[in-house]
Amino acid sequence: MDSVKKTKLDKKMDLIKQKEELGLLKYKSQSRAQRKFFNNRLAVIGLILFIVILFVTIFAPVICKYSPQKVELLNRLQPPSSEHIFGTDKVGRDVFARVLYGGRISILVGLGSALVAAIIGVSIGCYAGYKRGLIDGIFMSISEIMMSFPRIILVLLLVSIVGQSLWNLLVIFVLTGWGVMYRMTRAKILSIREEEYILALKAFRLNDIIICYKHMLPNALGPILVNITLSTAMFILQETELSFLGLGVPLNIPTWGNILNVAQDISVLKENWWIWLPVGTVISIFVLSVNFIGDGLRDSTDPTQQG
Amino acid sequence: MERTIALFLVKNYNRGVVVVISYAIRRILVLIPTLFVVTFFVFTGLELTPGDAVSYMVSPDVLANISPESLEQLRESLGLNDPFIVRYFKWMGGVFKGDFGYSLSSGVPISEIVFDRLPATLELSIAALLISTLLGSILGTVSALKKGGMVDNILTFIGMIGVSIPQFFFGLVAILIFSFKLGLFPVGGRILPGHEAFLDRLPYLILPSLVLGLTMSAGVMRYSRSSMLETLNKEYIKTARSKGLPEWRVNFIHGFRASLSPVIVLIGFRLPMLIGGSVVIEYIFQWPGIGKEFVAAVRFQNIPLVMMIALFMVFSVLIASLLIDIFTAMLDPRIRLE
Repeated sequence: MDSVKKTKLDKKMDLIKQKEELGLLKYKSQSRAQRKFFNNRLAVIGLILFIVILFVTIFAPVICKYSPQKVELLNRLQPPSSEHIFGTDKVGRDVFARVLYGGRISILVGLGSALVAAIIGVSIGCYAGYKRGLIDGIFMSISEIMMSFPRIILVLLLVSIVGQSLWNLLVIFVLTGWGVMYRMTRAKILSIREEEYILALKAFRLNDIIICYKHMLPNALGPILVNITLSTAMFILQETELSFLGLGVPLNIPTWGNILNVAQDISVLKENWWIWLPVGTVISIFVLSVNFIGDGLRDSTDPTQQG
Repeated sequence: MERTIALFLVKNYNRGVVVVISYAIRRILVLIPTLFVVTFFVFTGLELTPGDAVSYMVSPDVLANISPESLEQLRESLGLNDPFIVRYFKWMGGVFKGDFGYSLSSGVPISEIVFDRLPATLELSIAALLISTLLGSILGTVSALKKGGMVDNILTFIGMIGVSIPQFFFGLVAILIFSFKLGLFPVGGRILPGHEAFLDRLPYLILPSLVLGLTMSAGVMRYSRSSMLETLNKEYIKTARSKGLPEWRVNFIHGFRASLSPVIVLIGFRLPMLIGGSVVIEYIFQWPGIGKEFVAAVRFQNIPLVMMIALFMVFSVLIASLLIDIFTAMLDPRIRLE
């Protein structure tokens, strides 16, 4: 048994050596960051929780036999039982099913708007940070002005103008979220552009776009990834907050925030804890897992914390 | 000799003041374009809302009994037929004089609504700010001093949980436990009629300000921890230690004090977050502040009120951050030179 394992390891080692000799071993620094990430216990726990919750919501129909929308007036306000794990709500809908299906939308809103905001913010920030000048000034002042609004005030203001819908909410989140990404990428690019290899690339008269997106952007990827995870956490919190106020995703679509919305009712808050307490806990755990991943990424990609 | 030293001191002191003032003027000059754009944005929003602009510019009492001809006259005299830019500047002049227009739903002047709700919001925010600053900087320092130890790990973990729980959910749980189950605090509201003394109000303040303050102290703690760690690596800490000073003196007199100035800057950054956070907390605890009013205005599509409250909040954030910048420039000479 032992010898078998050893030979396997030996084979692996030989393979690595062979690759190294041929110069095929690429991205050494990346594997180091990965190693550091996977050695961070909290980050790994976060990643596992994240994947578990993600899969459970994606495979909701397999896991839960109830529909999130099906009204069963005979089964109103049932406390948790083996039949309904999280009980039922005021109109007899299964809360567990609503949590699962609601997670799909909430995670979609959080991840989706963080990704789109990142794509916009990073692509502008990368180019503007490299070119400086007028474009940079314009985008800088736009983002500065948007950041002088307290975040939730700006979001609510936009909601009151454009009205409530899932897509509007996504657009609003992207609109209010790209600025942070832009500033962060720009700051990183500003320090990279002083490096000598950029001067060399310029001396070769490489295209500006190729220089900044192909040669500079990869070096700024670490903090960008960290920021995407942290914005995902923030957008999920914001979605639940808005939906709780009844101003986010329209109430007929189940999302984590919309399930919590009923807790505005004092009697539900006091008597029917099972409707809102589990959802809130699931949200907290999910956001916590995303934050753990973000922290782990920060520790593993930040060169100042290397060592 | 003494005279020359005294003169030198006076001269230098004055120069410091001059530098701070010129810094302040520069900061204010930077602020002006921001103010223009924000007000322009708000005004455009007001213009784009469906409905006649007269309805929020004039008191509804006047509007109730008015003939169509005099309404047209009124429009002309209010300048509603002027070009967009002219109207914008007129409107802005009004705003700076405190004329915020009228709420669509109640017909009350918006400035009256804002200044009526302001004390409640300030009370809650200041209480939360005090709690989070005290708790956050103390816990952050403790965990920096015990870096890598049990206490540090536990505090960091709790801080992580603090930023991950939705604020309103934390508030709801607090209401369930402390108001319903234990009956320690009232469920919501701020003042019972006839009980206006601060001590009567205190039980109402405790729970919302604790919820807001605790969720905010997670961020402060994190920041003051890293600030303290950075300070503890400085040369002068080593000097203090090698002088033979007792450890607590090194940590608290030399370390903690120096680590505070970035924390003050952080509080400046937190102001928008504080105002934003208080919106939801006010709503949950039925705290009669600006945030609750704002949510109600958004819900009832009362756009003029929404816009003006947002504008007011941006104003206060900008002014507060200006004051904090000037304050830190006074404390830290390096900032003035940038």
